[in-house]
Amino acid sequence: MITRPTGWSLALRVPLMVGGLVVVVAFVFSLGVLQRLEQDQRLHLAQLAATYLDGMATAVQPALLQRDIWEAFAALDRARMHYEGPRAVSTAVLLADGRVLAAADPRAWPSGVTLPADVAERAARAAAGEPILDPQRARATLARDLFEGGIPIGRIVAELDIAPLLKARAKMRQTLILASAALTLLFAGAGFLLVRVFLRPVETLRRHVLASAATGGLMPPLPPEAFAHVGNEFNALFQALNRTASAVAEREDIAARLAEEERFAQLGRLASSMAHEVNNALGGMMTAVDTIATHGSDPAIRAASLGFLQRGLADIANVVRANLASYKGEAGAGPLRATDLDDLRHFVRHEMERRGIRLEWSNTLPAELAVDRTLVRQIVLNLLLNATAVSSAGGTVSMHAGEKEGLIRIEIADAGPGLPADAAAMLEAPQATPPRDGGLGLWTASRLAARLGGALQPMPAAQGTIIALLVPSPRPYADVG
Amino acid sequence: MAKQPAQLTRRTTAALLGSGLAMPALHAQTNILRFGLTPVFLDSDLALLRDLEAYLSGALGLPVQMVKRRTYQEVLALLLSRQIDAAWICGYPLVQHRNQIAALSVPLHRGRPLYQSYLIADAATSIGSLDDMRGHSHAFSDPDSNSGFLVTRWMLAERGTRPERWFSSSFFALGHRNVIRAVGTGLAASGSVDGYVWEVMAERETELTAQTRVVARSAWHGFPPICCLMEQRDAPLSQSLARALEGMKATPSGARILATLQLEGFIPADLALYEGIARMSDAVRRAG
Repeated sequence: MITRPTGWSLALRVPLMVGGLVVVVAFVFSLGVLQRLEQDQRLHLAQLAATYLDGMATAVQPALLQRDIWEAFAALDRARMHYEGPRAVSTAVLLADGRVLAAADPRAWPSGVTLPADVAERAARAAAGEPILDPQRARATLARDLFEGGIPIGRIVAELDIAPLLKARAKMRQTLILASAALTLLFAGAGFLLVRVFLRPVETLRRHVLASAATGGLMPPLPPEAFAHVGNEFNALFQALNRTASAVAEREDIAARLAEEERFAQLGRLASSMAHEVNNALGGMMTAVDTIATHGSDPAIRAASLGFLQRGLADIANVVRANLASYKGEAGAGPLRATDLDDLRHFVRHEMERRGIRLEWSNTLPAELAVDRTLVRQIVLNLLLNATAVSSAGGTVSMHAGEKEGLIRIEIADAGPGLPADAAAMLEAPQATPPRDGGLGLWTASRLAARLGGALQPMPAAQGTIIALLVPSPRPYADVG
Repeated sequence: MAKQPAQLTRRTTAALLGSGLAMPALHAQTNILRFGLTPVFLDSDLALLRDLEAYLSGALGLPVQMVKRRTYQEVLALLLSRQIDAAWICGYPLVQHRNQIAALSVPLHRGRPLYQSYLIADAATSIGSLDDMRGHSHAFSDPDSNSGFLVTRWMLAERGTRPERWFSSSFFALGHRNVIRAVGTGLAASGSVDGYVWEVMAERETELTAQTRVVARSAWHGFPPICCLMEQRDAPLSQSLARALEGMKATPSGARILATLQLEGFIPADLALYEGIARMSDAVRRAG
């Protein structure tokens, strides 16, 4: 399939352009040389004609004055013998009335008659200016009027054979065209190859980048063979590129490890929270068991204790279920359900109660959304834990989740001192390197939001901080496919 | 130069001749022979001039200077004004100035001291006689040439006419070879030429004479003689010159010159050879 030139690679287009440029330059140059050659030949012929006519005028003027046929003929004959320029085909000396006094070839132009009309017309024009060239006949007509004391006494007319000049011109043109064509091909070919060689690293780079983009992963370093026969500039560029690729890969690796560590840290905190919740429930449940053991005969007390046990077990079940929901699978394990979000309350409740912080919870999400539930839960949990950490005792942390026109919007508000500037900058550039001094949870949440195709966006707040998680909401999984 | 005539060497003279320069002051010298030539014989043969000069110089024992002029009239003027000592001229000037000029020697051509005038025509034409030449252009050699003018002029006078009325145009080519060329190239339809010159050229330049055709031959006339002033005829230098010419065939260099000229030698001139020319000259003069 033929592709459009704009679709050709740079490594092909640039050499072709260089080759084309050489062709154009060679063509223009050749044209200029040919024009100059023609001008030079015309000038040369005009000079030859002037010299020829000067000599002829000197030779024939006395004969013309005396109307001496033989002397005029002899002068023309001598000129024909001795003139070394273009060969004179016909020459004649005309009287002032236009009749031939003598011609070098009397049979063609006899004495006493006028010249043929076409010759006479060309001669008249030539006498008034430069030689009249007739390439078709390969003839140049020269003429000069002769005067004696200002009185016209006659005219010299000559027709020169310019076939050798035309042949030389044609030969020169042919040589020039052949030489130009050969040189053009040579230079264009050499230019093509050289530029191709020069641009080979660009082609290597292009193929490498396109190949890595096709895989969707990080760009791997250029292989060692890519450095073969590469100039200093591209060598430095490739090395810099490989360093960058290595740095990016290393950063990604670090980020992944940090995210994993953060996950484990979360897990630790959740485990602690869960243990605390379970322990709280167990404490009450142990008391209820003791009460039943002591006062189990009393139906009212037994019923109250059993109810207490039942709620305690329900609390424990909720905590366990929430943890199972969070960590039983990897990212992309399933669609997001409203209850997935509600479970997060159990993770943060203990920490909030310990710090005396109130939680406001509003969840209007549809039953099921085709969004990675695990990533959403991780993001929201990070934001809730951050909000809890920055809020002071007696403060309120709120979570409002909803979906409208294909966009999931989950806002987490705290009663803290507000979002630091570096944290706000980090939200705007989620692919930046992780912060050196804390804020890892927000950085992780920000990157996870980017993986969902969404973003974390700080919202204007009268007090504290409001961060909104905005995620495009496609159709529910049930509708896909 | 006139003050140092003795230093003029043969080589210098030859060089000056070769360059075409005349030496008008040389008449003051007595120890040099000045020999005048006209286009009466073969034109433009510098080698022949050099050989003839060398031969005469050796035979006479003194420098010889060849003085060449384009017209008979010029050479005749030089002779009559004593600027040259001898000259090879036509019989016509001789009979015109028979009281001033004497014939010393005359060449032998084909065994006789005689030659003819030829009427020639352009071979491309159908001209076959003097009558056919009427209304066409004609080339003469020289107004003082017997074969190149007088004979034709006389023939026309016999018809009661003149060249300017008989021919559409006529001109003098000043040389018999030039007449042949003029007719051969078509510059003139016909011409009057020395028969001896035409015959020699027919052997040497066949392509040129082949373009011409001999239409008529005249009666035999005395061959152009070597002349001197009448008063110098018996002078030692003139007699030495006559002996040198008559002895030419006896020397290798002289024989080579004669062979080149296609002549057999020189004999003492007899004015009776030129009576026919004299009659024609008189007739023409009478015709006016």
